[in-house]
Amino acid sequence: MKRLGKYIALFVAVLIAVAPVYWMLTISLKLEVDQFASPPAWFLFSPTVAHYTDAFVTRSFGQYLLTSAIVAIVSTISALVIGTLAAYSLARFHLPHNLDNKLSLWILSTRMFPAIVTAVPLFLMMRDLRLINTRLSLIIVYTGFNLPFVVWMMRGFFAELPRDLEEAALVDGDSRFGALWRVVLPLVAPGLAATAVFCLIVSWNEFLFALVLTQTDAAMTLPVGIAGRVTQYEIKWGVMSAAGAVALVPILAFALAVQKYLVRGLSLGAVKG
Amino acid sequence: MSICFRNVTKRFGNTTVVEDLNLEINDGEFVVLLGPSGCGKTTTLRMLAGLDNATSGDILVNNQRINDVPTQHRDLAMVFQSYALYPHMTIADNIGYPLRVRKLNKTEQGERVNKVAALLEIESLLDRKPKQLSGGERQRVALARAIVREPRAYLMDEPLSNLDARLRVQMRGELKRLQYQLGTTTIYVTHDQAEAMTLAHRVAVMRKGKLQQFDTPMNIYERPANRFVAEFVGSPSMNFLEGEITKGYFVNKEIRIRLTEHQRQSLSAYNGVMLGIRPQHVRINQNRESESISARVYVTELMGNETYVFLTVGTNRIVVSAPAEFRAELESEVWLTFIGDKAHFFDVQSEARIC
Repeated sequence: MKRLGKYIALFVAVLIAVAPVYWMLTISLKLEVDQFASPPAWFLFSPTVAHYTDAFVTRSFGQYLLTSAIVAIVSTISALVIGTLAAYSLARFHLPHNLDNKLSLWILSTRMFPAIVTAVPLFLMMRDLRLINTRLSLIIVYTGFNLPFVVWMMRGFFAELPRDLEEAALVDGDSRFGALWRVVLPLVAPGLAATAVFCLIVSWNEFLFALVLTQTDAAMTLPVGIAGRVTQYEIKWGVMSAAGAVALVPILAFALAVQKYLVRGLSLGAVKG
Repeated sequence: MSICFRNVTKRFGNTTVVEDLNLEINDGEFVVLLGPSGCGKTTTLRMLAGLDNATSGDILVNNQRINDVPTQHRDLAMVFQSYALYPHMTIADNIGYPLRVRKLNKTEQGERVNKVAALLEIESLLDRKPKQLSGGERQRVALARAIVREPRAYLMDEPLSNLDARLRVQMRGELKRLQYQLGTTTIYVTHDQAEAMTLAHRVAVMRKGKLQQFDTPMNIYERPANRFVAEFVGSPSMNFLEGEITKGYFVNKEIRIRLTEHQRQSLSAYNGVMLGIRPQHVRINQNRESESISARVYVTELMGNETYVFLTVGTNRIVVSAPAEFRAELESEVWLTFIGDKAHFFDVQSEARIC
């Protein structure tokens, strides 16, 4: 009985998570007639790829996809590189007057206010830097927004790692950076992977700043492109769903690829016998 | 490599962990830092390794000050209490790490790893990961990683404390043999007096950050500098009795021990003293002898090769190491004879040894 209850709870959870995705996928494959059928055509409809060709051949969704990918990947990598180095320093080196903890909190505080308050200042700054309608502007903004998250996540992973290992590496003749590269980073790889997935998702789905900072087809990201199909006269549900379905694929693929790293515990039992 | 600590002090915030340490270690010497936990022995080792910085004082290696030399340039090898094997690398990669960092060519790396693995009899483990090894095997790998690059000195931080008793004794012997073969200066930290006595050329006994005595195991045992050293070294612990010196005797309420001529002279200026005598230097008898003292058996512990007899003499508690065949009922009366010339006398206030 207890087991059955567990399975029912699981089923409900999966249903809630998957149902909207399923709905989006079916919409992207339905003709407009079927999209608005009442009662809804849950399973039986004649599928079409018209919306996909419309989005990626006729319209510039391919371009949006490329921009999204570049922006998400580059910003994630920069946030990881800068954030990991900062987190390592904050986890390992102690500043006088507890300054390392204060600094960490200060870094986190940049995420405490609603993002939209920075929209106008950022727009003005990017305009003055002549970076409006460029991918670089989004990369800079997303890197900045992901940094606090990376610092806090990675700081936790570093703090958990026994110091003995790095000290052993130093005594063995390695430099601080060598110890970080060869010993510490491989051991926090699961944490790094989890952090990367999160950053990637945030950057990939970000809408507000992309909308404010980019207006041209060449610089627009996928979320902005999709939202652009909601027009005064019609809402292109089919095209939007098709683009949404395609947007899902890279994130899903990446998450699946790093899934084994997301399961923690590589370094457990490594030090004490 | 000779090592010298000159007036070295280490503070963490307001706590002084090592205070004004002076220690001179000769080339090729095996020195054990011995003391209870929190005595500063590990911190001393870490300062030598460069993992902690001395607050003041100089640390010299071959007469050159190394306080400001970063760890990786000190060319020392350290065996950690936790072994600190790199969990994501194979045993071969673990052992070869110091060579890889030094960018030795691949073939030489392999050769040296194999040579050391053969020396420590761990060739069959080279392809495994640390997680798959037993405690004793990990210990050997940690040693192999230290030995592989022929460093100027070995630093060992309680390397045997995570092993079971039998393995510990076995590895202890092998460590001694290894140091004899390699002839490399070794600093070894432990709280186990048996390890200190068996391994060291010289033992540095520490307490609360202060060096108590730095001498050969024999001298530490036979001429302890103060009560702490006397009590810490030897098993079971030395007995201590407080009393007075009168007319050539050490006397307290229940006990009277005749002093030797030498003791009489050394103690002439003292009134109250602390007498210390090892359990091995008290004879226990079922029958009364001349100058023997009546005692009551509190409890006996048969150790196999000897029997520890815990006794009460009035308010004094005394432990005696008796022959294995000694038998006595609890609460029965026995007679003790103190071997007076083996007794130590300590100043009651300063606890320093008088004679």
